[in-house]
Amino acid sequence: MGTLELDGVTKVFPDGDGEIVAVDDVDIEMRDGEFLVVVGPSGCGKSTTLRMVAGLETISSGEIRLAGKTINDVKPQHRDIAMVFQSYALYPHMTVRENMAFGLEESTDLSDDAIDERVTDAAGTMGISELLDRKPSDLSGGQRQRVALGRAIVRDPEVFLMDEPLSNLDAKLRSEMRTELQRLQDELDVTTMYVTHDQTEAMTMGDRIAILNAGELQQVATPLECYHEPANRFVAGFIGDPSMNFFDVRRDGETLVGDAFDYPLSASTLDDVGDVTDLTLGVRPEDVSLAGDATGEHTFSTVVDVVEPMGDENTVYLRFEDAPEGDTFIATVGGLQQVSAGDEITIEIPEETIHLFDGNSGEAVHNREIDE
Amino acid sequence: MTRNTDTGDDSGDAVTDGGVTEDPSGSGFSPIAALNDRFGSDFVESSQFWLPPFLLVGLFVYGAIIWNFLISLTDFSGFGNPNYGDLDLEMYTRALAESGFVDAAVNTFILLVGFTLVTLGLGLGLAILVDRNIRFENTFRTIYLLPMSLSFVVTAQFWAWMFNFNNGVINIVTSSLGLGRVDWLGNPDIVLWAVMFALMWQFAGYAMVVYLAGLRAIPNEHYEAAKVDGASTVRMYWRVIIPQLKGSTISASVVLMVFALKAFDFLYSLVGGYRPPNGADILATKMVREAYANLNWAYASAIAIALFLMTLGIVGPYLYYQYNRGNL
Repeated sequence: MGTLELDGVTKVFPDGDGEIVAVDDVDIEMRDGEFLVVVGPSGCGKSTTLRMVAGLETISSGEIRLAGKTINDVKPQHRDIAMVFQSYALYPHMTVRENMAFGLEESTDLSDDAIDERVTDAAGTMGISELLDRKPSDLSGGQRQRVALGRAIVRDPEVFLMDEPLSNLDAKLRSEMRTELQRLQDELDVTTMYVTHDQTEAMTMGDRIAILNAGELQQVATPLECYHEPANRFVAGFIGDPSMNFFDVRRDGETLVGDAFDYPLSASTLDDVGDVTDLTLGVRPEDVSLAGDATGEHTFSTVVDVVEPMGDENTVYLRFEDAPEGDTFIATVGGLQQVSAGDEITIEIPEETIHLFDGNSGEAVHNREIDE
Repeated sequence: MTRNTDTGDDSGDAVTDGGVTEDPSGSGFSPIAALNDRFGSDFVESSQFWLPPFLLVGLFVYGAIIWNFLISLTDFSGFGNPNYGDLDLEMYTRALAESGFVDAAVNTFILLVGFTLVTLGLGLGLAILVDRNIRFENTFRTIYLLPMSLSFVVTAQFWAWMFNFNNGVINIVTSSLGLGRVDWLGNPDIVLWAVMFALMWQFAGYAMVVYLAGLRAIPNEHYEAAKVDGASTVRMYWRVIIPQLKGSTISASVVLMVFALKAFDFLYSLVGGYRPPNGADILATKMVREAYANLNWAYASAIAIALFLMTLGIVGPYLYYQYNRGNL
């Protein structure tokens, strides 16, 4: 069925005399019916990866297999995939019905009646039945989005490819469509590859997330694994908002020595660290907690720099007492906690919440403990 | 003028310096307010800017058309002045009865339709080829457009030489291929098509540029969506891309058709006189010939009116189309 495998997929674009590696040796395996979100910053190669699966870009090396068959040299029109574009790419001279029927007319031998039935069905699923005879120019952004999705689902393909389909919607509509898309994908149970730069979409929608940076695959895992057990510093920083705090530290015996603080480690953590001495200590803002007094070995005195009240919580920018001006890190505390700029407060960074990354390679050497 | 905003008096009974009173309740009648209501709020105030050019164009373009129509109703020919006392449609009945006029009208029509269709088709084909990310794209575009920049006098002379029966390059090629010589300009059955070919060569580049602009306006995603939807390249162009070029087709065909109607200068230069080759006479050449060679002023005016009506028949629907789309 719709298993999709990317095996060492690489894309190299010529650039003048040199070349640019847009996608570098990416391996992803998708189960049938899986919803995989490919996420990464702009220019990380995520759209290029999707376009290679669609057949809109050639593959420089590696192999893409759909349902066990290599499709490297199969033309896009014969791949049995449906794609939703960021701009929707509805054909402006056709009505919604014609837009949705087009793919079936071109890719199947179905009779006109059968096509019409499937279009009507899909329009019902997407709640756009009353729009069928309108032209795309008469539709709102949200309605166009639904038509674009309807055009994909009516095809009943092996794989859905979605290229930032929600990014042209306003915030409220986007979160509505997010839920709806998830429900739809669950119902249809079609393998879906979804590209986005929005980590909220990645966290909430996907069965698994594939994180790309500079063309290289960083991690493929469930959203919670990516959040709690990031494979490297990039993933740790990319997933989560506000993002993880990082401190460059040096291991000195059993203690991590930073610019502004010392952080003693327990024996089990030291085991993970091994003989690496240059490290990056990472801690998520919500794991930085307020402490009563500075007596614990993981408590620190800090000065509040800025407070951003969000209602349910406050985002607090803190500075270690010894740290220079502007060198802040972030903690999120409860919305009812009274914290204001200039306060001196004591915080605790519990050892079970810290992540440690190799200072040179960025690989995770120790991740936080999770209560099973 | 009649607005009292600048007096600061809004009591409603302001008397302006001209002594005209305006009743803001609308119960009184003011022609200026009525005009402004009908044509927009500043119709009268802005008239000093648009009225003089409006009158000049009206007089020299539309006035001239009307005058021409009046002349076509007289029997004016030779030297002297037209007699406006005796107006009838004699020139029109005479035209319809004359085989020369009917032939010219038919030729004009064939040239109009044939030239336009073939040029549009060729232009579209070139545009699609040039648009497919080919190498040296700009060079090709320039080469195809270059004939447009040449004067018809020049291109007509080129083609006259190339079509030459004895030593024209086309006949040298055909005869070396064993097809024998063809009298391109002398054979009345062929000459119109030869002329059409020459005009097409000159104008295909123009159609290409118009279509190329249209193609560039279509987002890449439409090509990609059509491919992912399962359409072959030909089907993609036929069903998704070309239908979106409707606007380009309409504007290009109006320009081409209007040009085909007044292809006078090309034919004039081809033979260097008022008498085009047999079989290639069109209304434009006949009109000029009747007027300036034969001094049949009234008759030539009647032909001019016929030509005018044909042009109107082409431009009218175009203007209507643009009006419906809110572009006018």
